[in-house]
Amino acid sequence: MRCLTPSLLRRFWGLLPQYLSVGPSQSPNLSPKQSSLRQSCSARPGLLTAPDVVSYWQKVFEKNGIPEARESSEYIVSFVLGAKTFQSLDSEKLRAPLTAVQQEQIQQLSCKRLERMPVQYVLGEWDFQNLTLKMRPPVFIPRPETEDLISLVVEEESRKCEVKNSAFSVAVPPPVILEIGCGSGAIALSLLCKIPQSRVLAVDKEEAAVDLTRENVHRLQLQGRIHVLHHNVSYGSAKHLLPWGPMDFIVSNPPYVFHEDMASLDAEILRYEDLDALDGGDDGMRVIKTILTLAPTLLKDSGSVFLEVDPRHPAMVEDWLTAQPDLFLTLRAVHKDFCGKPRFLHIQKQSR
Amino acid sequence: MSVPSLLTFTFTLRERSAAIWRPWAQRTRQLSLSWGPLLWAAGKRSSFHLVELTEAELKEQFVRGDGPGGQATNKTSNCVVLKHVPSGIVVKCHQTRSVEKNRKIAREILQEKVDLFYKGEDSDVFKEIKASEKKKQEKKRRAKENLERKKHFKEMLQLEREQT
Repeated sequence: MRCLTPSLLRRFWGLLPQYLSVGPSQSPNLSPKQSSLRQSCSARPGLLTAPDVVSYWQKVFEKNGIPEARESSEYIVSFVLGAKTFQSLDSEKLRAPLTAVQQEQIQQLSCKRLERMPVQYVLGEWDFQNLTLKMRPPVFIPRPETEDLISLVVEEESRKCEVKNSAFSVAVPPPVILEIGCGSGAIALSLLCKIPQSRVLAVDKEEAAVDLTRENVHRLQLQGRIHVLHHNVSYGSAKHLLPWGPMDFIVSNPPYVFHEDMASLDAEILRYEDLDALDGGDDGMRVIKTILTLAPTLLKDSGSVFLEVDPRHPAMVEDWLTAQPDLFLTLRAVHKDFCGKPRFLHIQKQSR
Repeated sequence: MSVPSLLTFTFTLRERSAAIWRPWAQRTRQLSLSWGPLLWAAGKRSSFHLVELTEAELKEQFVRGDGPGGQATNKTSNCVVLKHVPSGIVVKCHQTRSVEKNRKIAREILQEKVDLFYKGEDSDVFKEIKASEKKKQEKKRRAKENLERKKHFKEMLQLEREQT
């Protein structure tokens, strides 16, 4: 194998962004006023490129004890430049000096981050799989782990289709899915996109969540296939959920944090997110149990429940289901998240 | 690409410093720093015949830090670090705000790099790079020619005016 020609190599090196390391002589003059930026956010004047500004705000965040200083800075600058991540910015944008308007926008967003506002709320949007969704406090921000929950449901639906098709060679009706606790609509809308012709009923006990989900539905133009309902499964009657017929799937990322762990959550979560979307009671099982108790009434035979849970829950749920034989629910599988933690439960209603 | 990529690069080098490197291998490492939108954005990926990678050969790491994960954490760092163990090639991908998408893209980039590493000039990836390089040079040459022609034409016009 011969080596690459020098000209090609030069071209590749040329593609590297001109990363300006901010040395001691060039470091931002963080005057006492600027150091305590909680009170006043003043942007640094002069010709600055994106990497300069990222470095500047990263230092500011670090000085103020903001976690993920670099990531936060990168997301904010990228957003103002019209990109999703810093790594996806092309070399032209990286070299170009930022306009005063852009610097002002970055400053405004960064000031919010200085108040420990989660980046997703600062930007007012975030991505979940292939979707860009609007985000607004206090509606729960989708976590990256939950992306795998979608894949599990999609796989199960494909598997069911294959089985039915081979057995009957009759068209399988598109699935009806219930999502409990839809939040921003991440799970519901992802499923709609990934399972063609599926229909979704999404419910949440909080009006703010229902409103935000409806906004995201409209943004993605998926109105025809989803109903969003303001409903509390803990107190409301299951009758409200049945006009759309028994479900093929119940999917949920219910509050599952153990109550004793709530106090140790990051300030970003405690100050801005709806704690009811997180607190699962003493053993984190309160809403999980509610959902599983309702499931037999709502599910078709052989229908499935897919839940995201705390890594300690799989064993607890299995024990609990064994003690509730009248539910006729079996724990079929436990799936790990991308960090290797047991995270997802697949529970099935036995056909009687 | 920024400093973290360089760190990954130097880390990989340190790991294998005992090995005697062919110049080719070293240059492929250098290539990896500037990879990214260059190749798969070309949109011709499906027509390439690339080395297949199995999950068993891959080691994945997420810059997500320790902690309980799930609902209890709200970290935004969705960066994926993917290593092809047999060749030692490492890819760091933070192209999107979705972990799932970053994992997919990381695998695509890694596949391209591994293909280039093992096949060298026979790799479809190498051929694509050369072809695009050639196109750019051709474009530059034509632009230069046009400029010269215009310049020459202007000079001719000027001469005519002076003569009349």
